[in-house]
Amino acid sequence: MSKAKSSKPTAGPSGGLYKAESIKDVADGLGITSFPDAVASALASDVEYRIHQVVEEASRFMRHARRTTLTTADIDNALRVLNIEPLYGHSQHNTPTFRRALPFPQLASAGTVFFVEDEEIDFDRVLKEEKITLPPGVRWTAHWLAVEGVQPLIPENPPAVPREDQQPTGGATSTLVPNAATTPDKRQQQQAALVKQVLSRELQLYYTRLTTSLLPPNAVDPTKRTAALASLRHDAGLQALLPYLVRWVGEGVVGALKDGAQGENDGRVLEILLDVIAALLENTTLFVEPYLHQLLPPVLSTLLYSSLPPSQSAHLQTTAASILSHILTEHSTTYPSLSPRIMKTLLLALLSPDKSRGTRAGAICGLVGIGKEAVRKGLVEAGGARVVGAECMPGEEGGLGKAVVDALKVLQPPSAHPVPLDSRLSEDAATLARLDEVMGDFFAERLMGDAVWARSILGEG
Amino acid sequence: MSAATPTASTPDATSPAATSTLEPSSSSNAVDRLVVEYLRARGHTTPEQLSDLLSGDDKGKKPETTIPADELLKKIAVHAGGSQPGQNTLKSASVMQEIASGSSSNIQNLISSIGPVGAEEILSLDPTDKQEGFRELESWVEGSLDMYRPEFRPILFPIFCHFYLDLVQYGFKDAASEFFETFSTPLEAQHSATLHRLSTMRLPSHVQGDEQAQRFRNEKYTVRMSRSGFGLLVGWLTEGVGGEAPGAGEGFSGEKGKRGRAAVMRVVNNHLRFDVTAVSTTAVSPTAWEESTGLLSSLIPQTQGAMTNPQAFNTAKGELKLGPMPMSEELQTETEKSLREQAMLDRDPAAQYDVHSIRPAPVTGVVAPTAGDLLPHPATFKSADIRREVEKVRDARKRIRLDPSALSSVDLNTPQGAAARQRALPSICAYTLQDVPEGTPCCTFSEDTSLMAAGFEESYIRLWSLKGESLNGMKTDFQLSAIRDSSSLGKIREKGGPSSRKLIGHSGPVYSLSFDPLNGSASPPRYLLSASADATARLWSLDTMTNVVAYRGHQNPVWDVDWSPMGIYFATASRDRTARLWSTDRTSTLRVYAGHLSDVDCVRFHPNSLYLATGSSDWTARLWDVQKGSSVRVFIGHQDIVSTLAFSPDGRYLATAGEDLAINLWDLGSGRRIKKLTGHTASIYSLAFSAESSMLLSGGADWTVRCWDVKSSGGLPEKPRTNGLVNGNGASRDHAKDNTPENIETTDLLSTFPTKRTPIVKVHFTPRNLCLVAGPYLSPPAR
Repeated sequence: MSKAKSSKPTAGPSGGLYKAESIKDVADGLGITSFPDAVASALASDVEYRIHQVVEEASRFMRHARRTTLTTADIDNALRVLNIEPLYGHSQHNTPTFRRALPFPQLASAGTVFFVEDEEIDFDRVLKEEKITLPPGVRWTAHWLAVEGVQPLIPENPPAVPREDQQPTGGATSTLVPNAATTPDKRQQQQAALVKQVLSRELQLYYTRLTTSLLPPNAVDPTKRTAALASLRHDAGLQALLPYLVRWVGEGVVGALKDGAQGENDGRVLEILLDVIAALLENTTLFVEPYLHQLLPPVLSTLLYSSLPPSQSAHLQTTAASILSHILTEHSTTYPSLSPRIMKTLLLALLSPDKSRGTRAGAICGLVGIGKEAVRKGLVEAGGARVVGAECMPGEEGGLGKAVVDALKVLQPPSAHPVPLDSRLSEDAATLARLDEVMGDFFAERLMGDAVWARSILGEG
Repeated sequence: MSAATPTASTPDATSPAATSTLEPSSSSNAVDRLVVEYLRARGHTTPEQLSDLLSGDDKGKKPETTIPADELLKKIAVHAGGSQPGQNTLKSASVMQEIASGSSSNIQNLISSIGPVGAEEILSLDPTDKQEGFRELESWVEGSLDMYRPEFRPILFPIFCHFYLDLVQYGFKDAASEFFETFSTPLEAQHSATLHRLSTMRLPSHVQGDEQAQRFRNEKYTVRMSRSGFGLLVGWLTEGVGGEAPGAGEGFSGEKGKRGRAAVMRVVNNHLRFDVTAVSTTAVSPTAWEESTGLLSSLIPQTQGAMTNPQAFNTAKGELKLGPMPMSEELQTETEKSLREQAMLDRDPAAQYDVHSIRPAPVTGVVAPTAGDLLPHPATFKSADIRREVEKVRDARKRIRLDPSALSSVDLNTPQGAAARQRALPSICAYTLQDVPEGTPCCTFSEDTSLMAAGFEESYIRLWSLKGESLNGMKTDFQLSAIRDSSSLGKIREKGGPSSRKLIGHSGPVYSLSFDPLNGSASPPRYLLSASADATARLWSLDTMTNVVAYRGHQNPVWDVDWSPMGIYFATASRDRTARLWSTDRTSTLRVYAGHLSDVDCVRFHPNSLYLATGSSDWTARLWDVQKGSSVRVFIGHQDIVSTLAFSPDGRYLATAGEDLAINLWDLGSGRRIKKLTGHTASIYSLAFSAESSMLLSGGADWTVRCWDVKSSGGLPEKPRTNGLVNGNGASRDHAKDNTPENIETTDLLSTFPTKRTPIVKVHFTPRNLCLVAGPYLSPPAR
C-alpha cells in the first residue's frame, strides 16, 4: 500500500535521481562524444522534472482507478493527456524484469550492468505439459461484514485481533468531554467480547468430546481413545484449544497423583495423559513452545513421583522419559535454558538425601531418556551411582540397582568377553580404587567383572 | 557553511570583517555574470573597469584567482551593517550611506556606480542569507512562547517555498537542494505533496512553467495571526528581538542574522498577507489554520471586490435553500390514494399511518425551495413517480433506525449496552469482486438493490443482477414494422438471458457509474450513466442493454458522473477543470461550472437538486448553484486532493474526504467546517450517509469500512490528565504519545470493520438503512 506522495521527496543533494552520467551515456549512444558537464547536469535536472510531471499525472489515473500501485497503463494514460505519444508495448501483464549481469572482470570500470530478462520458452514442453487455463471471469461473493455492529467470525472476515494499545482510561480521564472518555472503553469492550468468542462453538464441542473420549479410562472404548489421540496428533486448527488442553492435562496429572496414585486406575489415567502430551508434542501444526513450561511439570511429576503403582511404574517412567527426550530434541535449540533446567531437576531428585527409591528410579529413567551425556553427568560425575548404591542392600537384585546398571549400559555397552579387573596389577588396582571412590561399593562390585567397561565408564578407556 | 564550499581554496579575505563570511564558489560565476550584466545595463561599459571592480582587491596576491563578486558585495554589506547594528538593512538608502563611508576606494567606486535599488537586488541574490534567514526564523518560531508557537508555525512553510523558488530561479541548483535537504523535514508532515512538487523543480524554466510555483509567485499567501502575535513577528523582523534559541550564538544580533532577517522580510513584504484577527490565540482550534492559511485568493471565486477569506465569501453569498424538494399537489394526492388502497389490501395495521407521513414535516432552520426554483421538468407525473413516492413512505416505515447517540450514554458491558449497540450500528453486507485482473475503478448499487454495476480498467462495464434474475436485452432480428404496441415489443425481448451482462462501448477505463433515480426503490432502474477516460459520458439503456447516447464535450478524462435526484439531468466532473451539467435528451452541455484550479475529481447533486458540490485537486470543494452556474460556497480546509464527497439526505451537511486521509464535515448553510474526522490510514474512496443523516460510513484503500457519528462533537481523544500533578516525566510521555499513529482516530469513530484485502470502492445505504459495500479482492502478492 505504498503511495507515491507519502514517500519522502527523493531529490537528493547529489543532483536528484537522474544522474548527469546517464545523460552522457545517452549522448554517447547517439554519437555525441564531447558533451559538456554543465549541459548534462542541467539536462538531467530537466529530465527528472519531466519524469516527475508524468508520474504526477499518472498518479491521478491511479487514484481514480482506486488503486495504490502505479501501473504502466497509468503512465500511458498520463502521456496521452499530456499529448505525448504513449510508450507502446508495455503492459502490466508482462512487466519487464531487469536482471543484474555477472560482473565483467575485464572492465572493472563498467560498473553494474542490468539487462532485460528474456525468457526462453521451450515450445515442446509448453505444448505437452502446461495446460493453459483461462482465468474465470469477474464474479462477486457476498458476506456479512457486520451484523448490527458486530463483525461475525466467518472465514470471509479477517480474524479479530485484540489490540493491546487501547488501555482503559480509568477514572483519571477528564469528565469535561463525555465522549472522549466513553469511546475507547467501548471499543475495548467490543474487542474483549470478540476475543471471548474466538473459541467457537465447534471448538468447544470438540473439546468436550475429546476429553470425554479420553477419560475416565474404564468407561471409554479403547478404539475411541485411539481415534481421539490420533486426532490430537494430526489435526490442524487446534491451536486455539491448546491452552485449555494443557491445563486439562496438568489438572488431570495433579489429581491422579494427589490421590496417591496407588490404584491401577490412577496409573491408567497417568498413562493416557502422558499419551495426550506426546500427541500434542507430535502435532506439527501446533505451536507448543509457549506452553512448554506448563507441560513440563506434569511430565516431571509423573517421572519423579515416589510411589507410582508398582505394576506400571516402569512403563510410566519410560514413557515420561521418552517424552522428555522428545521435548529436548525438539525445543532445546530455540529454548536454550531448557536442558540445564531439566538436568537440575533430575539431579536434585537423584542426589538429595531423603528421596524415595521411586523418585530416584524415575530420575535415572529421565537421565537415560535425555542421553549418554546426562547419564555420565548424573551417575558418574555427580556421584548419583554412589548415592543409589549406598541405599541398595548388598546383594539386592533388580529394582533400583538394575536401573542404574541399565543406565550404565546405555553409557557404554559391556564388552562381550569380560576380563575382570585384577587387584594385583597396579594399574587395575588404581582403577579399582577410583571405581570404589566414584561409584561406591555396591556398583564397584558389579563393574569390576569387566575391566574395559569399568574403564570406559570412568572415562579412562 | 555549505558543503559545496572548498574552504581551503577560497582566497584570503582582505578585510578582517569578512573572514567569517565565506562564499560557495560554485555559484560565483552566475553572480559574476549578473553583476556584469547589471553594470552594463547601468552604462558602465568598460570591461577593464568591470574586471577591476570584480577582482581588483585580489590581484596583488593571487593573480589567477579572482575574488567572487558576491563575496565582495558581502563585504560591502558587512561594512554597512557592522558600524551601526540595529539599523534596518532594508532601507537601502541608508545602506548606501554606510557603504559610502567605508574605507576602500574600490568599494566607493562601486557604490557610486550602482544605484540604491541595485544593491538590494544583488544582495538578494546571495544564496547563504536564505539558509541563515530560515534557520533563524525556525529557531525564533520554536523558541517562542508555547501559546504563540501554533500560530507562528504556518509562516515557515511559505517562506521556505519562496526561498527555495528564489534559489532555483537564480540558478543556484545545488544551494537549493541543500536548502531543501536541511529544512524540509519538519514541514514534511503537513505539506508533503507541495514539498515533493517543489523538490522536483531544479531549473529556472521549471519555476516559470510550473503552475504551483507561479501561484506562489503571483498570489499572496494568507496567514492568520492574532494581533499580539503579529506584533511580535514585526518586532523580530525589524529588531531581531525575542525567541532566542539556545545555541543561536551571534546569529541573531550578528551580521548574518540581519541579512537573513532581511531576506525573510522581503518574502513577508512581497508574498505574504496577514489576516490579523482580534481573537486571542488560545481560542482558536488547532486545525483552524487549515482553513485560513494558504494561497487562498485564487481559490475563492472572485466576485466584485476581492475576498481573501472563505468565510467572508460564504456569508456574502447569502442563504441557501436547503430544504427538501417540493412535491406537486397532484402527486401527493395520488400517492395518498395509492397508499390508502394498499393499506386496505395489506391489512397491515401499521400501514395505515403511512398516509400521514407523506407530507414531510417542515424542517426547521432551512428554507425549502419552491417548484419554481427547480430545474425545468415535465409538468405531469407518471405512474412510476407514484410508485416511487409510495415506496419511499414504506421504506421510511420499515427503516432500521440507527441512533449512534444512544451509544455515548450507556455502558456497553451491560445488556442494555449490547442493545444500544444493535440500535446504533448498521448491518453491512460486503460484495467482494473476485478475480479482478486490473482493479475496479468504480462500483455502484441501484436504489432498489436489484442491480450492481462495476466499471473496469479494461474499458467495459459489468452489470449483475443481485437477485440472480436474468438480464434480458432485445433480439436483434426483428421487423421494425411488426412492432405496434407494448405487447409486440415484449415479444422481441430476449428470454432467459444470463444474470450478468458486459456493456462494451468505452475506449478507456470507466471511472464512475450512476443508476438513474427515477424509479427509486420501487423497481429496477432503466438507465445507467458511465464516465470514462475517453472523455465521454455514456448513457446505457437497461431495457435493451445497449449504449444509447455518448455525451462528448469534455476535453479530458471524465472522473465522475452523478444523476440529479429528479432524473433527466446529470453532472460530470473532468480533468479539464470543469464540471458540466447535461440533460439526457441533449448531447451538448447545458452548463459549465468553471473555477477550480485543478481537476474536478468528484461531483454530487444536493438532494433537492438545486445545488451541485464538486471536489477538486486544488484541495477545495465548492457548492454551485445548478441553474446560475455560479459558485455559492467554497470549502477550504483539506490539505490534499478532495477525492470523494457525499450530501446528507436531510440536505444540511456535506462530507468530503481527501487524500490527506481526513473526512471533513461541512455545514452547508454557513459554509463552516463542523469537524474533521480522522482514522483512515489510506485513501478514502467512498462516503455514504444513513437515511437519517445521523451516521456516516466511509470505505477506502486501507481495506476497512468505518462508521462515524455525525452528531457527536468529535475531536481527538483527550489525553489522560492527572489532576494538577504535571511533572516533567508525565508531560514528556504524553508528548510522545501524541506522535504515535494510534492517536489519529477521532472520538466519533464508532466502529471499524476490516476486510480481508478488499479496498472498499463503494459504500451505499439502502433506503431502509442496510449498508452495502463493494470492492475487489486483491490476492496477496506472489512471493
